[in-house]
Amino acid sequence: MQLALCGILIYFRHFRKLPFFTAYVCLNIAQSLFLYLIYLHYGAYSHTAKLAGWWSEAITLLARIFATLEILHVVLIAYRGIWGLAWRLLATTSVVVFVCVVAASWGDAERALMRADRGYHLIFATALISCLALIRHYLIRVGKAYKVLLVGFCFYSCVKILLHTVLYDSLYQQRSQYTTIWQILVISPYLIVLLFWGAALLRPLPKMREQQAVLPTSLYRRISPEIHLQLQAINKKLMNFWKIEEPQQ
Amino acid sequence: MNYSAAVFLSIGILLLLTIAWLAFSGTRRRPEAARKGGPERECLHISSLPQIKQALANSDFIYLEQQGYPALAKRIRKERRRIALNYLACLRVEFEKLLHLARMVAVMSPDVAVAQEVQGLRLNLEFSYRYYLIYFRLVSGIAPLEAIGGLSNMVSALTIRMETAMSELGEQAALGAELLPHNRGLDAGS
Repeated sequence: MQLALCGILIYFRHFRKLPFFTAYVCLNIAQSLFLYLIYLHYGAYSHTAKLAGWWSEAITLLARIFATLEILHVVLIAYRGIWGLAWRLLATTSVVVFVCVVAASWGDAERALMRADRGYHLIFATALISCLALIRHYLIRVGKAYKVLLVGFCFYSCVKILLHTVLYDSLYQQRSQYTTIWQILVISPYLIVLLFWGAALLRPLPKMREQQAVLPTSLYRRISPEIHLQLQAINKKLMNFWKIEEPQQ
Repeated sequence: MNYSAAVFLSIGILLLLTIAWLAFSGTRRRPEAARKGGPERECLHISSLPQIKQALANSDFIYLEQQGYPALAKRIRKERRRIALNYLACLRVEFEKLLHLARMVAVMSPDVAVAQEVQGLRLNLEFSYRYYLIYFRLVSGIAPLEAIGGLSNMVSALTIRMETAMSELGEQAALGAELLPHNRGLDAGS
C-alpha cells in the first residue's frame, strides 16, 4: 500500500507540491524495510530490535510533523494573516498539551516510551484539530485532497491514543497476545488511511492560490475593533434583556 | 481501568468525534441564521414595522384582560412570544452578519492581531450562550412579558444602528480593496 502511494505521488508529480509528505511516505517504506532486516537478523524481541524500532519511529514521527505543516502551509499560503494565526495556535496548543501530558504521565519510567508515543499523538491530534477548527471558523475552503490527508493523519493519531490507552492496560501482561493484537489494530487503520490518501491523490492537486490579502493592515486594525465594539454592544443588550423596564405609560 | 486511562480514553474519543465532525460537516459558506432565509427576510423590514411595536405594547394586553377577553389575551400572549422569538432570530442574523464581516476582513488582511481574533471568538461564545438562554426561557414561557415588549424597542434600535455601521464598514473595505493592486477578490466563503 505504501509503495502504491509512493508510486501515485511520483506518477502524478505530487512530490513537487508536497515534497515533505512524499519524504514521509518514503521514510515509512524505508522504516518497514529496515525493521524487517533487523528482526530477521537480531530477532523481533531483542534489545537491538527494540532500540531500532523506537529510533526509526521517532524519525518518522518527526517527518510526519513536517508533512502536516507543509500541507497546512499549502492550504493557508493564500491567507497570510490566518497562516500567522494558525502557526501561533499550533505552537500554543502543542506546548499546553505537552505540559498536560508530562504532568499526567510523570513518574512511570516503565511505560515511558509508550506514554511518550501516546503523548506525541495527543499533541499532534489536538494541535491539528485546533488548526482545522480555525480554518473552518474563517470559512476557508480546503481542497478535498488536502483535507483527506490532514484528516487521515488526525484519525490515525486518535486511533493510536485509544489503542495505547485501552490495549496497554488490559493486554500487556500477556505479551505474545498483546503484540499480535497490537500489530493488527495499528496496521488496520493505517491501511484504511493509506487507501483514502491513495484515492485522494489519484486526481491532480488543487492549484496553489495567489496571495489573497487585499486589505492593508491599517484597515484591519481600524475596522476589526469597530466591529467588535458593535458585537459587544449586542451582547450587552442581550445581557440586559431581563433588566429592561417597561416604559412609563 | 485507572483514572488516567479513563481521561485519555475520553480525550481520544472526543478528538475522534471532533475530527469526524470537521471532516463531514463541510465548510460553512454563509452565516447559519442568514442561510435559513426566514428571519433575514423579516429583518429587512424590522425598522419599518411600528405596527409590531404597537402590538407588543403591554397596555393592549392589560386592556383586553380588563374588558373580559381572556381567550383573546391568551392568543395575544402567544403572538407576542412568537414575535419576540422572531426578533431574537433577527438579532442573531445581525450578529452573524457582523461576525462574518469581521472574519472576511481578517482573511483578507496580511497581518492579523491575535488579541482581536480571540476577542471576536469570546464575543461569539458569549452571544451564543445568552441567545440560547433567552431562547429557551422564551420558549418555555418563563420570560416576563414586559421584557418582551422592551426587546422590540431594543432590537429595532440596534438594527438601525448596525445597518448604518455595516454599510460604512462595507464602504471602507471596498475602498481599501480598490486601492490595492492585484485585487483578485476573496475565494473564502464565497
